[in-house]
Amino acid sequence: MSLPELKTRHAFFTGKGGVGKTSLSCATGLALAEAGKRVLIVSTDPASNLDEVLGMALSQSPTAIPGANNLFALNIDPVAAAHDYRERMVAPYRGILPTAAIQSMEEQFSGACTVEIAAFDEFSKLLGDPAATQDFDHVIFDTAPTGHTLRLLTLPSAWDEFIASSTGGASCLGPLAGLEKQKALYAATVKRLADPDETTVILVSRPDVSALREAERTRAELAGLGVRNIQLAINGLFKAATPGDIIADAMTNRAIEALATMPTTLAELPGTSIPFLPRGTVGLDALRVMARPETATKSSANMTAANIALPSGLRVMIDDIAKAKHGVIMTMGKGGVGKTTIAAAIAIALAERGNKVVLSTTDPAAHVSAAVAEGIKGLSVTRIDPTLEVRQYTEEILRKTGDKLDAAGRAVLEEDLRSPCTEEIAVFRAFARTVDQGNDGFVVLDTAPTGHTILLLDAAEAYHREVMRTQGDMPESVRQLLPRLRDKAFTSVLIVVLPEATPVHEAERLQQDLARAGIEPYGWVINQSLLASGTHDPLLCERGNYEVPFIRRVVDTLATRSALIPWFAVPPVGSGGLAQIAG
Amino acid sequence: MKTLEVFDPAMCCSTGVCGVDVDPALAQFAADLKWVEEKGVKVSRHNLGQEPQAFAANPAIVKEMEAGMERLPLIVIDGHIVVTGMYPSRQQLAQKLGISLTVTEMPPVKAASCCTPKSGCC
Repeated sequence: MSLPELKTRHAFFTGKGGVGKTSLSCATGLALAEAGKRVLIVSTDPASNLDEVLGMALSQSPTAIPGANNLFALNIDPVAAAHDYRERMVAPYRGILPTAAIQSMEEQFSGACTVEIAAFDEFSKLLGDPAATQDFDHVIFDTAPTGHTLRLLTLPSAWDEFIASSTGGASCLGPLAGLEKQKALYAATVKRLADPDETTVILVSRPDVSALREAERTRAELAGLGVRNIQLAINGLFKAATPGDIIADAMTNRAIEALATMPTTLAELPGTSIPFLPRGTVGLDALRVMARPETATKSSANMTAANIALPSGLRVMIDDIAKAKHGVIMTMGKGGVGKTTIAAAIAIALAERGNKVVLSTTDPAAHVSAAVAEGIKGLSVTRIDPTLEVRQYTEEILRKTGDKLDAAGRAVLEEDLRSPCTEEIAVFRAFARTVDQGNDGFVVLDTAPTGHTILLLDAAEAYHREVMRTQGDMPESVRQLLPRLRDKAFTSVLIVVLPEATPVHEAERLQQDLARAGIEPYGWVINQSLLASGTHDPLLCERGNYEVPFIRRVVDTLATRSALIPWFAVPPVGSGGLAQIAG
Repeated sequence: MKTLEVFDPAMCCSTGVCGVDVDPALAQFAADLKWVEEKGVKVSRHNLGQEPQAFAANPAIVKEMEAGMERLPLIVIDGHIVVTGMYPSRQQLAQKLGISLTVTEMPPVKAASCCTPKSGCC
């Protein structure tokens, strides 16, 4: 058991949200720095917890980490990058152009596309331009949750192709005016990513089936992009010291089974594993333990679970929500906290109470259908599939406008519809359409990981302003979206967390972001609590006790209503497994 | 050689596909500009969101924007503003540029109707 070994200058850590990408990339970077290398750690995650793991406020330029010689870190915050970009574009014209003109420019730079492009621009500077990082022996990217990472990684080739194929002067290059000039930089970025002597990609996974399935999906996508230098790191591998405890045995067996049944394409990758660490991975000391697990202080054999009053289960919330007979329930939070599982459990429980329920997902790494294996009366499962949405949207636009255009006009329109912005819009419209179904039944949405969700809401805000301005034949569902999300009688937002440092702090930020958008959560759901699981295993009891301050923080300070869900010996899969959660 | 300049409002792209809803008139207008270019007219197009310097450098354009942002788009031929607040059709462009239009070059539907109130056209 050890950290991944890095032979290349660049490394990417990728995987499903919550698998420990940031901790692992920091532990690897710290170990290299302590071996005498100069190391830069970069986060491109809009919901980055790099600051927290390293215990230090970071910015968009390299900051030395106190207590760790040669270790530097920086955070690419896409929202801040977009803001800087907007200022660079707009500021020189204040006082020169009329105020109304400045306002319309600013609005144009507030969309999700600007955020995406500005972030990618920053990322490209680091990877594509050797001068930007020449002071470092290693540059380690703690990439964003999987769906977003893949978009980021796919974008270079998509954009490269797009720029190359764009013929007319009227092509839609989005708000990035200087894109053409960046072409060489983007091409260099793509090349670096795929070069095995330059870049290693480390797939991080927990030893569980869904995280490994996600890792395999990512591996296939990376292979498709021409990336060959891939390693697998299994994080948090637990093995009960003495058998006999139901929870500890279940956790041990679940890991063994998951690893035994993983696809051979994954199993064949060079790999490492890092053991289960009960005291978290925040701070330099914890990161050093990750590098040398044998130095960890042993849990005392007579460690027992703390005896404190715990919040009730999910049933109380579901009974309350069910009273309205219709509406939207959204589970939100960092990737990997169990939003899909909680959403599916709520959907089933509402359907069993005789309601008409639609369970829908906008998560790019969706496996809702896997969670709800059996058919349940009144329940239907839909998925917002970006590829499908883009195709339908494109077809709809061409059908609606095609007869008003000649061949040349149609060609111009088709070319523009190939722009990366089209996906944002198509997905957004699908999201609005799904929320609309909450009028005559329940809609349960497991929203995408935090960062993407915020972009979506941001888009909602920008759209809202735009909708108010134009008189185009806007679907009513889009017009109604933001008012509906703000209406507490219509929408119940559930923030899902794990009882750990980073998920709780990130959810706290999410709640603040929602407040800025005028959305107040209905309640918080604390998932997978070992403290509530009834385990007597010393290592797991120690972990359970580590949860106490985080549970207290949610219940006492953050949430108006809270529910606690234990870690279950029977996996929460299928309607039987999910029923435990709603109980 | 005649010159034609277009001063667009701030928009993501010149067909409006990035906006709330696609306006077919915008796609048709982009195609019509290509056609005009083929007839030997020098065409340049400026988007307020991307090339504000082109707006700032032209006092007549700034003056129009001060009168109201709905004055955009502005169509300028040889330095004179000829259309405000709308995208002209191919026929209108041809007429203003003195290009004769053959029947086969007519687009299937007029991109936008002329002489709507406040359009500034005609």
